[in-house]
Amino acid sequence: MKDIARQAMSIKVESMDLLNSQIKMEAHASATYLAMASWCEQNGFFTSAKFFFKQAEEEREHMMKIFNFLIDAGGSPYSPEVTNINHDYSSIVDVFEHTLDHEIAVTKSIHNIVMKARELGDLTTERFLDWFVMEQVEEENTIRDILDMIAVTGTEGVGLQVIDDHVGNWIN
Amino acid sequence: MLHIEVFVFNLNKDYFCSSMKVVYQSTYYTLYQSESQRCFYVDFVQKTVQMSFCQLLALRHKVLSIPIEDHFDSDLNKHGFELLQLCNKEHLFILNTLEVLDLKSLVEQGFVLLGVSAKSEALSV
Repeated sequence: MKDIARQAMSIKVESMDLLNSQIKMEAHASATYLAMASWCEQNGFFTSAKFFFKQAEEEREHMMKIFNFLIDAGGSPYSPEVTNINHDYSSIVDVFEHTLDHEIAVTKSIHNIVMKARELGDLTTERFLDWFVMEQVEEENTIRDILDMIAVTGTEGVGLQVIDDHVGNWIN
Repeated sequence: MLHIEVFVFNLNKDYFCSSMKVVYQSTYYTLYQSESQRCFYVDFVQKTVQMSFCQLLALRHKVLSIPIEDHFDSDLNKHGFELLQLCNKEHLFILNTLEVLDLKSLVEQGFVLLGVSAKSEALSV
């Protein structure tokens, strides 16, 4: 029997399913960062707001990268439904701590897809995700550095203002 | 005129049968591959639907997304039926619980046999 299905698609359907879940996760991250930008704007952290607007754009770019990969591979990318976006944070420290948790969750998810792709013998998907693996190292490092800066600066007195100003160092 | 139509029908039927290969047959449904037309057919008993690979992927997504657990909770799915729209709303099917389960089996096994799925147990979509 001719491999008509294989001729139409270069990756395994299981990889496609996981990448569609990742599309959803990146869209959720983008929306979450937008909510964080909104919180920062409303609470006077204007530089941090700019940082999160940029993060939101980056997450959307990641989503589109996966979306376009699925198209190129002959798969079916699905436009994600984004719900349950948290808009409540107790402080700017809380915002950045949530950001690190979010980035770690994304890293774990990417690693899981890499391991599954390896298990499936889907080299195309595995190699495609190389960029994401390294990107997550950078993303996590940025947020860790900001949390370190917050710890060193402290939140007393003008600390919060200094923190917000310094976040600008991580806006490329 | 009628004679010609019957002849053409038989010709098409013979052509259909000779160029079709059964990929997988479940209790109610059959998935065929047509090498000459480079497409797939799903025999839904009531009718046979021609599908491109993309449409087959869409069928898989829709069928595997059906929350079958809801069929066992009268609050979530009172009558135990699912509406399935296929091929850009060209076809509409009403399926009962057993038919949904059978169709899930067809797409899972079918994709394994088509060589684009590694295992019979599908991942969540």
